[in-house]
Amino acid sequence: MLRASNQQIVRELKEGDQRGCRHLIDAYQDRLLGEAVHVFQVPFLDAEELVSDVLLTVVHKIGTFQFKRSDGDFHYWVMTIFRNRVRDFMRHRALTEGLQVHFDEAALEDDELYSSAEREVVRIVIGRYEDSLRSPDSENERVGGGNAGKLQIVVQALEQLETWERVLLRCRALEIPYEEIAQYTGKSAKQLKVYHARVKKKFLKLLAERVPEASVR
Amino acid sequence: MKRNPVDLLLQLAFLEGEITTHGLYEKVAAKRKPPQRSAETVKLALLQQLEIALAGATEKDLFPLTVGAYLCRMREERSLRPQEVSSRIGVPSNIYKMMEHDRISPLKISIDAWRKLRKLFQVPKDALEAMIRRTHQLVYFQASFRTTLARYDGRKKREIKAATLKKATEELFARAALPLPPKEQLKLSKLLDALKEDSQDLSAGDSPSE
Repeated sequence: MLRASNQQIVRELKEGDQRGCRHLIDAYQDRLLGEAVHVFQVPFLDAEELVSDVLLTVVHKIGTFQFKRSDGDFHYWVMTIFRNRVRDFMRHRALTEGLQVHFDEAALEDDELYSSAEREVVRIVIGRYEDSLRSPDSENERVGGGNAGKLQIVVQALEQLETWERVLLRCRALEIPYEEIAQYTGKSAKQLKVYHARVKKKFLKLLAERVPEASVR
Repeated sequence: MKRNPVDLLLQLAFLEGEITTHGLYEKVAAKRKPPQRSAETVKLALLQQLEIALAGATEKDLFPLTVGAYLCRMREERSLRPQEVSSRIGVPSNIYKMMEHDRISPLKISIDAWRKLRKLFQVPKDALEAMIRRTHQLVYFQASFRTTLARYDGRKKREIKAATLKKATEELFARAALPLPPKEQLKLSKLLDALKEDSQDLSAGDSPSE
Protein backbone atom coordinates (compact mmCIF):
# COMPACT_ATOMS: atom_id res chain seq x y z
CA MET A 1 0.00 0.00 0.00
CA LEU A 2 1.33 3.43 -0.94
CA ARG A 3 2.01 5.63 2.09
CA ALA A 4 0.42 9.07 2.29
CA SER A 5 2.81 11.98 1.83
CA ASN A 6 3.54 14.37 4.67
CA GLN A 7 1.70 17.11 2.75
CA GLN A 8 -1.39 14.92 2.59
CA ILE A 9 -1.23 14.00 6.30
CA VAL A 10 -0.91 17.65 7.33
CA ARG A 11 -3.74 18.74 5.01
CA GLU A 12 -6.07 16.04 6.32
CA LEU A 13 -5.29 16.76 9.95
CA LYS A 14 -5.74 20.50 9.48
CA GLU A 15 -9.10 19.92 7.81
CA GLY A 16 -10.19 17.65 10.64
CA ASP A 17 -10.33 14.65 8.28
CA GLN A 18 -10.14 11.46 10.38
CA ARG A 19 -8.19 9.63 7.64
CA GLY A 20 -5.24 11.83 8.58
CA CYS A 21 -4.98 9.97 11.91
CA ARG A 22 -4.71 6.59 10.17
CA HIS A 23 -2.11 7.95 7.75
CA LEU A 24 -0.13 9.50 10.61
CA ILE A 25 -0.05 6.17 12.45
CA ASP A 26 0.96 4.27 9.30
CA ALA A 27 3.77 6.69 8.58
CA TYR A 28 5.20 7.25 12.03
CA GLN A 29 4.16 4.83 14.77
CA ASP A 30 6.44 1.88 13.96
CA ARG A 31 9.27 4.13 12.86
CA LEU A 32 9.32 6.10 16.12
CA LEU A 33 8.86 2.92 18.13
CA GLY A 34 11.95 1.45 16.45
CA GLU A 35 13.98 4.59 17.18
CA ALA A 36 12.92 4.67 20.84
CA VAL A 37 13.62 0.98 21.46
CA HIS A 38 16.76 0.45 19.40
CA VAL A 39 18.54 3.78 19.51
CA PHE A 40 17.56 5.13 22.92
CA GLN A 41 16.99 1.77 24.63
CA VAL A 42 13.55 2.69 25.96
CA PRO A 43 11.71 -0.46 27.18
CA PHE A 44 9.11 -1.59 24.63
CA LEU A 45 5.98 -0.80 26.68
CA ASP A 46 7.29 2.62 27.69
CA ALA A 47 8.23 3.25 24.08
CA GLU A 48 4.69 2.48 22.90
CA GLU A 49 3.33 4.97 25.41
CA LEU A 50 5.93 7.54 24.44
CA VAL A 51 5.10 7.24 20.73
CA SER A 52 1.36 7.59 21.43
CA ASP A 53 2.17 10.73 23.36
CA VAL A 54 4.21 12.11 20.45
CA LEU A 55 1.43 11.47 17.92
CA LEU A 56 -1.20 12.99 20.22
CA THR A 57 0.95 16.11 20.53
CA VAL A 58 1.23 16.23 16.73
CA VAL A 59 -2.59 16.19 16.43
CA HIS A 60 -3.04 18.80 19.15
CA LYS A 61 -0.44 21.18 17.71
CA ILE A 62 -1.05 20.62 14.01
CA GLY A 63 -2.63 24.07 13.77
CA THR A 64 0.73 25.67 14.57
CA PHE A 65 2.70 23.71 11.96
CA GLN A 66 3.53 25.18 8.57
CA PHE A 67 5.66 23.89 5.68
CA LYS A 68 8.53 26.26 4.99
CA ARG A 69 10.83 24.48 2.58
CA SER A 70 9.82 20.96 1.69
CA ASP A 71 7.73 17.90 2.47
CA GLY A 72 10.44 16.86 4.95
CA ASP A 73 9.65 19.78 7.27
CA PHE A 74 6.87 17.76 8.86
CA HIS A 75 9.19 14.81 9.51
CA TYR A 76 11.72 17.09 11.23
CA TRP A 77 8.93 18.62 13.30
CA VAL A 78 7.68 15.19 14.42
CA MET A 79 11.26 14.13 15.21
CA THR A 80 11.74 17.24 17.36
CA ILE A 81 8.65 16.37 19.39
CA PHE A 82 9.91 12.78 19.62
CA ARG A 83 13.34 13.92 20.81
CA ASN A 84 11.77 16.10 23.51
CA ARG A 85 9.65 13.20 24.75
CA VAL A 86 12.66 10.87 24.89
CA ARG A 87 14.56 13.56 26.80
CA ASP A 88 11.69 13.81 29.30
CA PHE A 89 11.73 10.02 29.65
CA MET A 90 15.48 10.02 30.33
CA ARG A 91 15.15 12.81 32.87
CA HIS A 92 12.37 10.92 34.61
CA ARG A 93 14.46 7.75 34.62
CA ALA A 94 17.44 9.69 35.99
CA LEU A 95 15.28 11.04 38.82
CA THR A 96 13.65 7.73 39.72
CA GLU A 97 15.79 4.64 39.18
CA GLY A 98 18.90 6.55 38.06
CA LEU A 99 20.84 6.27 34.80
CA GLN A 100 23.78 4.60 36.56
CA VAL A 101 21.93 1.29 36.65
CA HIS A 102 21.73 1.19 32.87
CA PHE A 103 25.26 2.41 32.45
CA ASP A 104 26.68 -0.11 34.96
CA GLU A 105 25.19 -3.03 33.07
CA ALA A 106 26.75 -1.79 29.88
CA ALA A 107 30.08 -1.08 31.55
CA LEU A 108 30.34 -4.65 32.78
CA GLU A 109 29.80 -5.83 29.27
CA ASP A 110 32.61 -3.60 28.03
CA ASP A 111 34.86 -4.56 30.93
CA GLU A 112 37.89 -5.28 28.79
CA LEU A 113 37.47 -2.17 26.71
CA TYR A 114 37.33 0.38 29.53
CA SER A 115 39.48 0.65 32.61
CA SER A 116 37.85 1.15 35.99
CA ALA A 117 39.07 4.78 36.08
CA GLU A 118 37.49 5.46 32.68
CA ARG A 119 34.23 3.99 33.88
CA GLU A 120 34.52 6.18 36.94
CA VAL A 121 34.75 9.32 34.75
CA VAL A 122 31.51 8.47 32.95
CA ARG A 123 29.88 7.61 36.26
CA ILE A 124 30.83 11.01 37.71
CA VAL A 125 29.56 12.94 34.68
CA ILE A 126 26.25 11.05 34.72
CA GLY A 127 26.04 11.55 38.48
CA ARG A 128 26.49 15.30 38.01
CA TYR A 129 23.75 15.31 35.39
CA GLU A 130 21.40 13.49 37.76
CA ASP A 131 22.23 15.94 40.54
CA SER A 132 21.50 18.86 38.25
CA LEU A 133 18.05 17.43 37.60
CA ARG A 134 17.38 17.13 41.31
CA SER A 135 18.46 20.65 42.13
CA PRO A 136 18.83 22.94 39.13
CA ASP A 137 21.18 25.66 40.40
CA SER A 138 20.84 29.33 39.69
CA GLU A 139 23.97 29.41 37.52
CA ASN A 140 22.50 26.99 35.02
CA GLU A 141 19.25 28.89 34.94
CA ARG A 142 21.11 32.14 34.38
CA VAL A 143 22.97 30.90 31.30
CA GLY A 144 19.73 29.39 30.04
CA GLY A 145 21.23 25.94 29.91
CA GLY A 146 18.95 24.44 32.53
CA ASN A 147 19.94 20.85 33.22
CA ALA A 148 21.86 20.60 29.99
CA GLY A 149 24.54 22.91 31.40
CA LYS A 150 25.95 19.96 33.32
CA LEU A 151 26.79 18.25 30.03
CA GLN A 152 28.92 21.16 28.83
CA ILE A 153 31.90 19.08 29.87
CA VAL A 154 31.00 16.55 27.15
CA VAL A 155 30.85 19.32 24.55
CA GLN A 156 34.21 20.70 25.67
CA ALA A 157 35.87 17.28 25.42
CA LEU A 158 34.33 16.76 21.96
CA GLU A 159 35.71 20.09 20.79
CA GLN A 160 39.24 18.86 21.49
CA LEU A 161 38.80 16.08 18.92
CA GLU A 162 39.34 16.40 15.19
CA THR A 163 36.23 17.19 13.15
CA TRP A 164 35.88 13.71 11.64
CA GLU A 165 36.32 12.12 15.08
CA ARG A 166 33.61 14.36 16.49
CA VAL A 167 31.23 13.48 13.67
CA LEU A 168 31.98 9.79 14.09
CA LEU A 169 31.26 9.77 17.83
CA ARG A 170 28.12 11.87 17.65
CA CYS A 171 26.65 9.90 14.77
CA ARG A 172 27.50 6.43 16.04
CA ALA A 173 25.88 7.23 19.39
CA LEU A 174 22.65 7.58 17.38
CA GLU A 175 23.24 4.40 15.37
CA ILE A 176 23.84 6.22 12.11
CA PRO A 177 25.45 3.68 9.75
CA TYR A 178 29.19 3.98 9.04
CA GLU A 179 28.43 4.22 5.31
CA GLU A 180 26.37 7.35 5.91
CA ILE A 181 29.03 8.91 8.17
CA ALA A 182 31.72 8.13 5.59
CA GLN A 183 30.10 10.63 3.20
CA TYR A 184 30.81 13.46 5.62
CA THR A 185 34.24 12.52 6.95
CA GLY A 186 36.32 11.64 3.90
CA LYS A 187 37.15 8.27 5.43
CA SER A 188 35.86 4.90 4.32
CA ALA A 189 33.25 3.03 6.35
CA LYS A 190 35.81 0.30 7.03
CA GLN A 191 38.33 2.82 8.42
CA LEU A 192 35.68 4.43 10.59
CA LYS A 193 34.71 1.04 12.01
CA VAL A 194 38.32 0.44 13.04
CA TYR A 195 38.85 3.94 14.44
CA HIS A 196 35.61 4.08 16.41
CA ALA A 197 36.85 2.31 19.55
CA ARG A 198 40.10 4.31 19.54
CA VAL A 199 38.29 7.61 19.21
CA LYS A 200 36.06 6.66 22.12
CA LYS A 201 39.14 6.00 24.24
CA LYS A 202 40.61 9.35 23.23
CA PHE A 203 37.36 11.09 24.10
CA LEU A 204 37.28 9.47 27.53
CA LYS A 205 40.83 10.62 28.19
CA LEU A 206 39.89 14.20 27.30
CA LEU A 207 36.81 13.93 29.46
CA ALA A 208 38.89 12.67 32.39
CA GLU A 209 41.11 15.76 32.18
CA ARG A 210 38.05 17.79 32.98
CA VAL A 211 37.00 15.61 35.90
CA PRO A 212 39.58 16.09 38.64
CA GLU A 213 37.83 13.56 40.91
CA ALA A 214 38.87 10.70 38.62
CA SER A 215 42.30 9.77 37.28
CA VAL A 216 42.72 7.77 34.09
CA ARG A 217 45.40 5.18 34.07
CA MET B 1 21.69 -4.80 23.29
CA LYS B 2 23.23 -2.88 26.22
CA ARG B 3 24.12 0.76 26.01
CA ASN B 4 27.74 1.76 25.75
CA PRO B 5 28.63 4.32 28.47
CA VAL B 6 30.16 6.80 26.02
CA ASP B 7 27.16 6.51 23.71
CA LEU B 8 24.85 7.12 26.67
CA LEU B 9 26.68 10.34 27.50
CA LEU B 10 26.56 11.52 23.90
CA GLN B 11 22.88 10.60 23.59
CA LEU B 12 22.09 12.63 26.70
CA ALA B 13 23.99 15.60 25.27
CA PHE B 14 22.06 15.19 21.99
CA LEU B 15 18.69 14.98 23.76
CA GLU B 16 19.49 18.02 25.88
CA GLY B 17 20.37 19.97 22.74
CA GLU B 18 24.06 20.33 23.63
CA ILE B 19 25.25 18.60 20.47
CA THR B 20 23.65 18.17 17.07
CA THR B 21 24.03 16.03 13.98
CA HIS B 22 22.79 18.87 11.74
CA GLY B 23 19.74 16.90 10.66
CA LEU B 24 21.63 13.72 9.75
CA TYR B 25 19.98 11.68 12.50
CA GLU B 26 16.50 12.77 11.37
CA LYS B 27 17.42 12.00 7.75
CA VAL B 28 18.63 8.51 8.63
CA ALA B 29 15.62 7.87 10.86
CA ALA B 30 13.35 8.62 7.90
CA LYS B 31 15.11 5.99 5.81
CA ARG B 32 15.44 3.25 8.45
CA LYS B 33 13.03 0.37 8.15
CA PRO B 34 11.07 -0.07 11.41
CA PRO B 35 12.44 -3.21 13.06
CA GLN B 36 9.41 -3.65 15.28
CA ARG B 37 5.70 -3.32 14.75
CA SER B 38 3.07 -2.39 17.26
CA ALA B 39 0.23 -4.83 17.81
CA GLU B 40 -2.93 -4.14 15.81
CA THR B 41 -4.90 -3.62 19.03
CA VAL B 42 -2.45 -0.92 20.15
CA LYS B 43 -2.75 0.76 16.75
CA LEU B 44 -6.55 0.72 16.98
CA ALA B 45 -6.54 2.16 20.50
CA LEU B 46 -4.18 4.91 19.38
CA LEU B 47 -6.31 5.61 16.31
CA GLN B 48 -9.34 6.14 18.55
CA GLN B 49 -7.37 8.47 20.83
CA LEU B 50 -6.13 10.49 17.88
CA GLU B 51 -9.59 10.76 16.33
CA ILE B 52 -11.04 12.04 19.60
CA ALA B 53 -8.16 14.52 19.96
CA LEU B 54 -8.60 15.68 16.36
CA ALA B 55 -12.35 16.18 16.81
CA GLY B 56 -11.69 18.18 19.99
CA ALA B 57 -9.02 20.31 18.33
CA THR B 58 -11.25 21.06 15.33
CA GLU B 59 -14.18 22.07 17.52
CA LYS B 60 -11.92 24.32 19.58
CA ASP B 61 -10.65 25.92 16.38
CA LEU B 62 -14.18 26.58 15.13
CA PHE B 63 -15.62 27.92 18.36
CA PRO B 64 -13.34 29.61 20.86
CA LEU B 65 -13.99 29.58 24.57
CA THR B 66 -15.69 32.94 24.97
CA VAL B 67 -18.09 35.22 23.14
CA GLY B 68 -15.43 37.94 22.99
CA ALA B 69 -12.87 35.76 21.26
CA TYR B 70 -15.54 34.53 18.82
CA LEU B 71 -16.71 38.05 17.97
CA CYS B 72 -13.16 39.25 17.37
CA ARG B 73 -12.42 36.36 15.04
CA MET B 74 -15.65 36.57 13.06
CA ARG B 75 -15.34 40.34 12.68
CA GLU B 76 -11.79 39.96 11.40
CA GLU B 77 -12.76 37.16 9.00
CA ARG B 78 -15.51 39.26 7.49
CA SER B 79 -13.51 42.49 7.60
CA LEU B 80 -16.14 44.32 9.62
CA ARG B 81 -15.61 47.32 11.85
CA PRO B 82 -16.82 47.13 15.49
CA GLN B 83 -19.38 49.87 14.78
CA GLU B 84 -20.86 47.87 11.92
CA VAL B 85 -21.37 44.78 14.07
CA SER B 86 -22.69 46.76 17.02
CA SER B 87 -25.28 48.52 14.86
CA ARG B 88 -26.32 45.26 13.18
CA ILE B 89 -26.91 43.50 16.48
CA GLY B 90 -28.40 46.60 18.06
CA VAL B 91 -26.09 47.31 20.98
CA PRO B 92 -24.24 50.58 21.73
CA SER B 93 -20.64 50.51 20.49
CA ASN B 94 -19.15 50.84 23.99
CA ILE B 95 -21.13 47.80 25.13
CA TYR B 96 -20.02 45.93 22.02
CA LYS B 97 -16.36 46.70 22.83
CA MET B 98 -16.93 45.31 26.33
CA MET B 99 -18.41 42.20 24.75
CA GLU B 100 -15.33 41.72 22.60
CA HIS B 101 -13.10 41.99 25.66
CA ASP B 102 -15.33 39.69 27.75
CA ARG B 103 -15.86 42.49 30.23
CA ILE B 104 -19.64 42.34 30.36
CA SER B 105 -21.87 39.48 31.41
CA PRO B 106 -23.94 37.99 28.58
CA LEU B 107 -26.93 38.40 30.90
CA LYS B 108 -26.73 42.16 30.41
CA ILE B 109 -27.19 41.81 26.66
CA SER B 110 -30.79 41.66 25.44
CA ILE B 111 -32.20 38.48 24.00
CA ASP B 112 -32.97 40.43 20.86
CA ALA B 113 -29.26 41.25 20.42
CA TRP B 114 -28.30 37.60 20.84
CA ARG B 115 -30.92 36.65 18.27
CA LYS B 116 -29.48 39.13 15.78
CA LEU B 117 -25.96 37.96 16.50
CA ARG B 118 -26.94 34.35 15.84
CA LYS B 119 -28.47 35.31 12.53
CA LEU B 120 -25.55 37.50 11.54
CA PHE B 121 -22.83 34.91 12.10
CA GLN B 122 -24.94 31.78 11.64
CA VAL B 123 -23.61 30.40 14.90
CA PRO B 124 -25.11 27.04 15.96
CA LYS B 125 -27.32 27.08 19.04
CA ASP B 126 -25.18 24.69 21.12
CA ALA B 127 -21.96 26.53 20.38
CA LEU B 128 -23.49 29.89 21.30
CA GLU B 129 -24.96 28.47 24.51
CA ALA B 130 -21.60 27.04 25.53
CA MET B 131 -19.82 30.32 24.80
CA ILE B 132 -22.41 32.33 26.74
CA ARG B 133 -22.14 29.96 29.69
CA ARG B 134 -18.34 30.19 29.80
CA THR B 135 -18.28 33.96 29.29
CA HIS B 136 -20.75 34.51 32.11
CA GLN B 137 -18.70 32.32 34.40
CA LEU B 138 -15.54 34.17 33.42
CA VAL B 139 -17.07 37.61 34.01
CA TYR B 140 -18.67 36.53 37.28
CA PHE B 141 -15.38 35.25 38.71
CA GLN B 142 -13.24 37.95 37.08
CA ALA B 143 -12.96 40.07 40.21
CA SER B 144 -11.54 37.21 42.24
CA PHE B 145 -9.27 36.26 39.32
CA ARG B 146 -7.87 39.80 39.40
CA THR B 147 -7.24 39.62 43.13
CA THR B 148 -5.40 36.34 42.72
CA LEU B 149 -3.28 37.64 39.87
CA ALA B 150 -2.54 40.87 41.73
CA ARG B 151 -1.18 38.83 44.61
CA TYR B 152 1.11 37.06 42.15
CA ASP B 153 2.21 40.32 40.51
CA GLY B 154 3.24 41.78 43.85
CA ARG B 155 6.05 39.24 44.38
CA LYS B 156 9.47 40.48 43.49
CA LYS B 157 11.80 37.55 44.00
CA ARG B 158 11.93 35.19 41.03
CA GLU B 159 11.59 31.91 42.94
CA ILE B 160 8.73 33.25 45.08
CA LYS B 161 7.07 34.60 41.93
CA ALA B 162 7.24 31.21 40.22
CA ALA B 163 5.87 29.41 43.27
CA THR B 164 3.06 31.97 43.63
CA LEU B 165 2.22 31.68 39.95
CA LYS B 166 1.77 27.95 40.36
CA LYS B 167 -0.47 28.54 43.36
CA ALA B 168 -2.42 31.23 41.50
CA THR B 169 -2.97 28.94 38.52
CA GLU B 170 -4.27 26.18 40.76
CA GLU B 171 -6.57 28.66 42.48
CA LEU B 172 -7.89 30.01 39.18
CA PHE B 173 -8.60 26.52 37.91
CA ALA B 174 -10.39 25.62 41.12
CA ARG B 175 -12.52 28.77 40.91
CA ALA B 176 -13.32 28.27 37.24
CA ALA B 177 -14.76 24.88 38.11
CA LEU B 178 -16.97 26.34 40.84
CA PRO B 179 -20.69 26.27 40.19
CA LEU B 180 -22.35 29.66 39.91
CA PRO B 181 -24.55 30.76 42.84
CA PRO B 182 -28.19 29.63 42.37
CA LYS B 183 -29.40 33.16 41.63
CA GLU B 184 -26.87 33.64 38.84
CA GLN B 185 -27.52 30.15 37.52
CA LEU B 186 -31.24 30.92 37.33
CA LYS B 187 -30.64 34.12 35.36
CA LEU B 188 -28.36 32.30 32.96
CA SER B 189 -30.85 29.47 32.48
CA LYS B 190 -33.57 32.01 31.66
CA LEU B 191 -31.43 33.57 28.95
CA LEU B 192 -30.49 30.21 27.50
CA ASP B 193 -34.12 29.03 27.55
CA ALA B 194 -35.13 32.16 25.70
CA LEU B 195 -32.46 31.45 23.12
CA LYS B 196 -33.67 27.87 22.80
CA GLU B 197 -37.24 29.01 22.13
CA ASP B 198 -35.87 31.40 19.61
CA SER B 199 -33.95 28.65 17.82
CA GLN B 200 -37.11 26.52 17.67
CA ASP B 201 -38.90 29.44 16.04
CA LEU B 202 -36.09 29.75 13.57
CA SER B 203 -36.10 26.10 12.65
CA ALA B 204 -39.91 26.24 12.31
CA GLY B 205 -39.71 28.52 9.36
CA ASP B 206 -37.85 31.77 9.82
CA SER B 207 -35.09 32.36 7.36
CA PRO B 208 -31.74 32.45 9.18
CA SER B 209 -30.39 35.23 7.03
CA GLU B 210 -31.60 38.77 7.31
